[in-house]
Amino acid sequence: MLTIETGVDGTVIMAGRLDAAQSVKAQAFLDQTSGQVVLDCRSLEYISSAGLGVFLRTQKRLLQSSGKLRLTGVGPHLLDIFKYSGFDQIFEIEAAT
Amino acid sequence: MSGARHGLSAEELEPILAVTRQLAAAFDLMAMLREVAQAAQAVLKAERCSVWLYDAAVDELVLHVSADLAAVRIPAGSGIVGACARSREAINVPDCYADARFNQELDQHSHFHTRCMLSLPLIGHRDDLVGVIQVLNKIGGVFDADDAALAGALAAQCAVALQRTQMTAALIEGEKLRQQLELARAVQMSTLPTAMPDVPGYEVFGVFKPADLTGGDTFDLALIDQGLLVVLGDATGHGIAPALHVTQMHAMLRMAFRLGADLETAFTQVNNQLAGTLPDDRFITAFIGILDTAAHRLKFHSGGQAPILLYQPASGQCARFDPTSFPLAAMPVSKLRAPVTLEMTPGTILALLSDGIYEYRNGTGEEFGEARVAALIRGSCRQHPKDLVDLLLGAVAGFAGGAPQEDDITMVIVKRRGSAAYRAFARSIDELEAIFAFTADSLARFGAEPSLAGAVDFVIEELFTNMVKYSGSSTAPVEIDIDPIEAGVEVRLVERDVDEFDVTRAPPVDIHAPIGEREPGGLGLHLIPKMVDAITYRYDAQARESRISFRKTAGARSAPNQGPS
Repeated sequence: MLTIETGVDGTVIMAGRLDAAQSVKAQAFLDQTSGQVVLDCRSLEYISSAGLGVFLRTQKRLLQSSGKLRLTGVGPHLLDIFKYSGFDQIFEIEAAT
Repeated sequence: MSGARHGLSAEELEPILAVTRQLAAAFDLMAMLREVAQAAQAVLKAERCSVWLYDAAVDELVLHVSADLAAVRIPAGSGIVGACARSREAINVPDCYADARFNQELDQHSHFHTRCMLSLPLIGHRDDLVGVIQVLNKIGGVFDADDAALAGALAAQCAVALQRTQMTAALIEGEKLRQQLELARAVQMSTLPTAMPDVPGYEVFGVFKPADLTGGDTFDLALIDQGLLVVLGDATGHGIAPALHVTQMHAMLRMAFRLGADLETAFTQVNNQLAGTLPDDRFITAFIGILDTAAHRLKFHSGGQAPILLYQPASGQCARFDPTSFPLAAMPVSKLRAPVTLEMTPGTILALLSDGIYEYRNGTGEEFGEARVAALIRGSCRQHPKDLVDLLLGAVAGFAGGAPQEDDITMVIVKRRGSAAYRAFARSIDELEAIFAFTADSLARFGAEPSLAGAVDFVIEELFTNMVKYSGSSTAPVEIDIDPIEAGVEVRLVERDVDEFDVTRAPPVDIHAPIGEREPGGLGLHLIPKMVDAITYRYDAQARESRISFRKTAGARSAPNQGPS
């Protein structure tokens, strides 16, 4: 399951698993965002290539209007996947402490 | 008998009727022939009477009843008797030594002087030649036309009675043979296991379906000190002997193993013993194996028994193993090659089938063959061996289309219980949640390192969603199995009714391209090799089946703890 909500400071908080079955819901939520978007990944346990696609599409859209997506609190498992897919070069990523 | 001037008188008819009554009672061929000879001799007032029977198979006449000679066999055309057989006419020779056809040798052997002779053909009721009856030396003269007529009437009676006796004898002989075959069958069947052994971690089943004619099959499945004994044997030939030969081998093997012999010793000693006792042209093809049920290794020797099929879940194929030696009893063996060891990983199936299956012919003479057996095992690899046997028998029956079973059918199936975890999932992205629950449950049950879960789920999801996207017309579910291996797991995904698509050869993704050139597609397959230790793809064109297998162990690649820190 995946939950997405906007925190009090405007940060988007994703929790749970961003798999192929949840990607439509995630995409729909992120399509509503604009400008500088911070995505809090501390509770995001899992991501598959469908989830990466959601992030990539969002990033491309935001860049067109001088915005961008920043990922924070990224755990080691997600970090590996971002690295293997070259996403560490197209996203600003802040690893979990 | 055209020479008869008148019908038979009551005086002449009476002895013939008396003979006919006697003939009706006799069933034994030799007794019958003696009756015939005595009757002819008495009625025709002759010194001797001989009865020859015609052996159509070799076109010879065989002397069966004679006062002075035994076991004479001549070509059907030779001598007066031969002339009679050929012409099927009565021949009355008043002076034998004046007749060129007369064979004087017989007189020389018997020290009997044949003056005159009346020969009559014995013609059966289907107008076939049964033999020739000859009366020799009319007392006080020579045979005349009346004698010939009388003899003709007698011969007609005798011929039919003889033929009836010959047929009866053949029937009795057939019945004796049938009873002996049944007895041999009973002996053969008595050594077969009556119940299948209960082998932890394995499912085993053996079946023996005899043909009408006794073949020489046997099998054994028994837990002994050395492990699970697995035997399938087939002795050459049909009939009583092969049934007894395999029974002998069966008993020898059990005894050898009971006395503590290892596989090599048992195979060698039983072979050498059989080589010494079986006739030179007889041998037995046999698979003899011992399964170590703890190490999951099956060591075997096969004396000419082939093919040996081993279904291996990792490849989804049936590997084929050849015999290690020549058939048992063919000759003594002094130095045996090393046995073959089969690795029985979970789901592995050893299938031993006698040639009664492989060589079962349909109406057009085509054999059932190895390819059909292998395809059926692949397609039914999750079935219990008993069900697999039933499926094979059903497939053979369907293939035969009513053609009769000509040879014994014997099957022995040894299957290591399937994957530790197995489930089939519908081709829908909505199944992902159930898949993740399944992997989580399986990994927890195996006590696998929890950090493996992220990578395992990732790879399964990528492969599964790829299958869903490119299903084509297939509605077959995707089967997933997971087995524990050292420090990790082995996972298999299998789908059917699909085209070939090798996921391990997906086009590369340039991960260093600027974001404008990056596309979401293709990333999943690109990432898979980085997430696992090894991955293989196999496609079976006949079954249209794709089978992907991957291994993931802790430590082989970095798969750090997931979740929030």
